[in-house]
Amino acid sequence: MVNYIKNLKSLIFFEEPEKIEEFILKESNDEGKAEIKEAQKDSDRTPELKKRDRSIIKKPMSAASGNDSGEEQGENKEKDSNNKHQPSAVKPRENISTSVEENLRYMKDIFTVPDNGDIVIREFEITFKGKPVKAFIILIDGMTDRTVINSNILHPLMILSDKDFKTGEDDIGEFVKSRLLPHNQMKVTEKYQEVIDEINFGGCGLFVDGSKVAFAADVKGWLARGIERPNTELVLRGPQEGFNEILRANTALVRKILKDEDLIVENAKVGKRSKTPCSILYIKDIANESLVEEVKRRVNSIKLDYIIDSGHLEQLLEDDPYMLAPQIIATERPDRVAAALTDGKIAIIMHGSPFALVLPTTNNDLIHAAEDSYIRFPYANLLRCVRILGVFMSLLLPGLYVAITNYHQEMIPTDLLLAIVSAREKVPFPTVVEILIMEVAFELIREAGIRIPGPIGPTLGIIGALILGQAAVAANIVSPILIIIVAVTGIGSFAIPNFSLAYAFRILRFAYILLGASAGFLGITTGLFLQGVWLTAAKSFGVPFMAPFAPKTSGGFSDEFLRPPFWKQETRPDYVNPRDTRKQPKISRVWTQNNSEGDANE
Amino acid sequence: MKKLMIVLLIASLLTSLLTGCFDRREVDELAYVMAIGFDKGKTNILKITFQIAIPKGMGGGGGEEGGGGGGGDKNSMVLSIEAPTLYSAINMANTTVSRQLNTSHAKAVVFSKEMAQQGIDRYIHTLIRSREFRPNMYMVVSRTSAEEFIKSVQPKLEGNPAKYYELTLNSYNYTAFIGNTQLINFYNAASAFYSNPVATLGGVNAFKSSKDFNLNDSTYTEKREKYPQEGDFRAGGITKYGELKTEFMGLAVFDGTKMVGELDGQETSYYLMATGQYNYAYWSIPDPKVEGYFILLNVKQSRKPERKVQMVDGKPNIHLKIRLEADILNIQSGVNYEDLKQLPVLEKSAEDYIKQGLQDMLNKTSKQYHTDICGFGAEEKRKFLTWEEWEKFNWLSRYKDSTFNVDVDLKVRRPGLLIRTIPSPTSEGNMEVQNQ
Repeated sequence: MVNYIKNLKSLIFFEEPEKIEEFILKESNDEGKAEIKEAQKDSDRTPELKKRDRSIIKKPMSAASGNDSGEEQGENKEKDSNNKHQPSAVKPRENISTSVEENLRYMKDIFTVPDNGDIVIREFEITFKGKPVKAFIILIDGMTDRTVINSNILHPLMILSDKDFKTGEDDIGEFVKSRLLPHNQMKVTEKYQEVIDEINFGGCGLFVDGSKVAFAADVKGWLARGIERPNTELVLRGPQEGFNEILRANTALVRKILKDEDLIVENAKVGKRSKTPCSILYIKDIANESLVEEVKRRVNSIKLDYIIDSGHLEQLLEDDPYMLAPQIIATERPDRVAAALTDGKIAIIMHGSPFALVLPTTNNDLIHAAEDSYIRFPYANLLRCVRILGVFMSLLLPGLYVAITNYHQEMIPTDLLLAIVSAREKVPFPTVVEILIMEVAFELIREAGIRIPGPIGPTLGIIGALILGQAAVAANIVSPILIIIVAVTGIGSFAIPNFSLAYAFRILRFAYILLGASAGFLGITTGLFLQGVWLTAAKSFGVPFMAPFAPKTSGGFSDEFLRPPFWKQETRPDYVNPRDTRKQPKISRVWTQNNSEGDANE
Repeated sequence: MKKLMIVLLIASLLTSLLTGCFDRREVDELAYVMAIGFDKGKTNILKITFQIAIPKGMGGGGGEEGGGGGGGDKNSMVLSIEAPTLYSAINMANTTVSRQLNTSHAKAVVFSKEMAQQGIDRYIHTLIRSREFRPNMYMVVSRTSAEEFIKSVQPKLEGNPAKYYELTLNSYNYTAFIGNTQLINFYNAASAFYSNPVATLGGVNAFKSSKDFNLNDSTYTEKREKYPQEGDFRAGGITKYGELKTEFMGLAVFDGTKMVGELDGQETSYYLMATGQYNYAYWSIPDPKVEGYFILLNVKQSRKPERKVQMVDGKPNIHLKIRLEADILNIQSGVNYEDLKQLPVLEKSAEDYIKQGLQDMLNKTSKQYHTDICGFGAEEKRKFLTWEEWEKFNWLSRYKDSTFNVDVDLKVRRPGLLIRTIPSPTSEGNMEVQNQ
């Protein structure tokens, strides 16, 4: 009873809460250290760089970190630059020790073993010249293939090493490499860092007592998505394979199509910490060498900690980050990458991303779909015309509608005009507001449609169609003709094959609405002019963005706006300056000639 | 640099606001004039009649049937204002019409015959100078007052009077009873030294019922015919009764910008042939062999007319050759004109008929009206080296002395679906019509 009253009292009267120390996220001691280090490193270089970095130095820092930086500066020179991310007491070392205990201790330190739960260390013994030798393997659970490790590494080392070998190597490292490990991809190294990188990427490190070298076996075996249909670039005709997240699977998909030893798959690593492997693909005797150099230069010069997706890479590589149109094509389709490579372009495939980057990209490429070259040319040209129409509708239609209804009423047929007027009769807003309401609503539906969890998806359709479509008209918020305009615009934008370009046009569409509303056709013409200037001035990896239209390139490259029959597409695009400009002889269908006796190329 | 960019961006955004959208008008802030009528005013110089579209009535699919109100299917309203000029009338109209008058969709400009006879020079220039009036408006001269004419335009098939004007005034393509009298054509012909303009003749039908029909206004007596052909009428006098009161037939002939006479429907066909604007039309030609029967032809112009002008003793001698093609629609008498031996008879009679009409029309315009509506002067103009010489030559004053040499070449191409007319046998067993 007393408790009861007490509880009641506590509900009504104020009681001072108990003082409990809550968690407070304090500034880390290390904060700003790395930046200062970088800045100080740069200070030896050109004064311009110093100027740019001043802002970083100016950042406030605690007194403690300032002191630390002084000490670290001295150490910095000895340190392996790759190893800066270990702020703990572990002193980075370069060369592998011959003592397995020392190696084990060091590896445990590096991988913070008791704390890091998924690191597996297995110690065992090898028989070498009748004596047991200590060894251990280290790997990350879940990233490696257990059966491969068991049968290809542990089994031979632990059991088969007991066998009598006819010839005996003196060096245990050499012995293990040439006799004991039947695994196909082995890396032999004297450097810790290489082993660590390999382990981080699903490898298995092997250390043997008395050996100067360590081994890193490629036993990657994580679970991954299989090869599925590409989600964003569907075709009716043509290969239905899409890239997945595994780099080598992706490069193999491309190689599988091209089957050419001149296809070079160069490795590169991006990310100071993640060291994400990338492949730069090009065909040695087709791609322009300076273009290849430039791509390599850009990729290798990128400095950042982690990179997750090729979307990051695209943003780091593109020429003009402020331009709306994409300057690099991201594609899920191996056949599209292969076709681009045969034209002398370059592709970058990144581990962990199902989107390959194809560069350089021109405006022309953005409105071509993968399917275009697989279907017969009259069909392809119909599709292209429809697509161009879609592009222009999605860009200009709302703007034109606003311009015509506000400034140029004389332009439309009288009947249509009167229909528009009678539809607008009860709408209280000006046309611009009306169209902005609907466009924003449409953009909302679109965005929500992507974010909405699957099971609730149909609700969105009902809300969108019913409330926006019907109710808005019935409530005289918008006129029915405007719904048609917005719908046609939306459909037009779905017809753009490159979704990055579709985004760009969605943004520009609003600009054209405002231009049309403020100055009618004059405004829209000005906008088109400025956009034209913008696009013609842009470049993607040294190639003018509007090529082959502006500048008009020489040569018979014919896959421009419309496409000629496949057998007439004899040359590679001139604007990428390929080493080999011809991809078919003048007569590729030799059978059409009467005197041909099956001897091609003549 | 970055700051400068931001400043520039803001500045450019603000300047776009400065344009002020000064001529921005929402579509529903404007009243669209479909037709403009010019009459002599009672209290002022002009009485301007505007026909203004009522879009609410045309919306159609709006779904709210009851909302329309008392007017029923009222699609346009007519407003007459007496004012000294056209623009003052527009200004005065805006005192009562809630929306700003916009003439960019006007389809017809109607002058009363009275106005046209006094000269419409100054009004034409008003219309042609303005950006808002379309040069492809149709010029109509109404035989009644323009106000009455516009009030009577109540189309039944069309919801929209603009469409009524557009379609009916375009019917010269298949009736050949009116001309292509767009404002720009009128202005060009009126301002040239080699031609005179025409305007479509419009009128309000006079008959209250089909019992009232008379032929007082028909021109068949002038042509010494026994009964009127389809083209022997002028707008307003057509023997027709129905819900549509307005009609267009014939041309108003202008000398300069002063109306001097009228052509009936058939003469208009000849005018179109002589100028090469003739497309196709149905003709009823008297049967050359059997009295009282007609041969129905669908006559097309196969080539542009050949026109030559020679000056003989200072008088123009004009050669005109018209090439026509015809399809047989019917041979009432059943005479076997389809036969290749008889066909020339048919062709000859059609040629003669058209030739006679052409000759009469040309004589009428030159001798009676002294106007070169067919623009033969254009053929003479090319013979001059300098403009001064041509100006001094004064073609239009010489045209009345011209002589005409007309040649018509008509070829029958297709007999239709029947190769010959076979008369229906009767109980008496003999053929109803004679067959030579």
